[in-house]
Amino acid sequence: MSNLKLVGVGGLAASKTAGDTIKTFALGSCVAVIMLHPPTRGVGMVHVALPDSSIANGNADSRPGYFADTGIPALLKEMAALGCVGPSNRSLLVKLVGGAKVMDPNNVFTIGKRNVLAVKKVLWSLGMGPLAEDVGGNFSRTVSVSIDTGQITISSPGKEDWQL
Amino acid sequence: MTRKISRTEILAALHKVPLISPSANHLLQVANQEGHGLPDIVNIVKCDAALTAHILKVVNSAALARGREITSLDRAIAIMGEDMIMGIAISDAADRLFQTDLQGYAANRGDLWRHDLRTAIAAKKITPFSRQPVNADLAFTGGLLHDLGKAIISDFLKGTIAEIVTAIETGRFADYPAAEREELGVDHCDIGFELATAWGLPEPLQNVIRHHHHPLEAAEKFRPLCYVVHLGDLIAMMTGSGTGADAMRCNIDPGYTDYIDLDRDDLPRIIFEVETEFNTITLSLSDKGEGSP
Repeated sequence: MSNLKLVGVGGLAASKTAGDTIKTFALGSCVAVIMLHPPTRGVGMVHVALPDSSIANGNADSRPGYFADTGIPALLKEMAALGCVGPSNRSLLVKLVGGAKVMDPNNVFTIGKRNVLAVKKVLWSLGMGPLAEDVGGNFSRTVSVSIDTGQITISSPGKEDWQL
Repeated sequence: MTRKISRTEILAALHKVPLISPSANHLLQVANQEGHGLPDIVNIVKCDAALTAHILKVVNSAALARGREITSLDRAIAIMGEDMIMGIAISDAADRLFQTDLQGYAANRGDLWRHDLRTAIAAKKITPFSRQPVNADLAFTGGLLHDLGKAIISDFLKGTIAEIVTAIETGRFADYPAAEREELGVDHCDIGFELATAWGLPEPLQNVIRHHHHPLEAAEKFRPLCYVVHLGDLIAMMTGSGTGADAMRCNIDPGYTDYIDLDRDDLPRIIFEVETEFNTITLSLSDKGEGSP
């Protein structure tokens, strides 16, 4: 039976249950970090809103997924709990969606770009990197991942759905 | 893209919208006054039985009451603060507009309210960074009301989304409001302004609604407030509270630096504070099965 797991802003979810779909809505400058583990068909997603938890003054613990530096380790922990991480993280395929941009010549509102860069830096520090990405642009994205197929579907109003 | 609807038809739809309640209107006038206080708010609310009942219901929600029963309006308003009172008053007064599913934008019921609430909180958080003083309560209220024009023109935009998105992506239009003007002869800012005028809202709020996408077009005395809401609107879209097809399809006015002194490190802090406050308010309002107000 199909079961939808919704991920809110700063939330995360992981599953390897057949029929499950993980979905997050309306990614603006936020980035969905998606991890796939083909040997177990495990899938995880975290909806990252900001690059760095240092601005949370110690309040990031309740919502680790909100920040790139705490969200990715938290998702890895979830994946590990499902048995979806091997001796190294290299068996995980990582894909990124979101990070829409605001063209701000003052370089203040460029949170989308900063999120994508922060996510990559955290992944690199863990010996990982994105296999594919659908980031940037000036539009909102909704993304879902099927546990059965690992297929990532992206939608945005006024556009045909596409796969990553 | 050809214009399908006349401005007259849209204005006719606007004039079918009920007038805002006297108490909500009175609260908006008070929010426009520097130096007003909670007693002013209490005096207005206590004359409106339905609003008083709603406020007491929310303050006794699990998120706010924490086991205490609160029966005094003064105490309730002190606990909740002016922002939440204003949010409830305005959402009650314009419930039909806020709860419209914006089919012309591919937005669901409640999306407009969530976007406006997040914009309101963000606008208020930005006011300390304004180079000229801006009334934080007015910024909050302006954020709540800035996009009400969408509820009126949405029906007229049904079936246009794919065409508009393609036109923007191929560079034909700079932003979504420009496409609305081409399609309808007016955009949601124009129609929101007409509504604000019909409701007799204070002049600063009329200007915020009219100029929130292009604040430089506002008269100089209103520009700081318009820039504050302009940036609050962007923050709401960036953080996932958009209204469908137009989310992120608008431009920042780079001249904001003449009015707002924000740097790269300020913005993430503001976004996190907005998220925290947004969750508190929506949780309080959704307790007892109310859903979005």
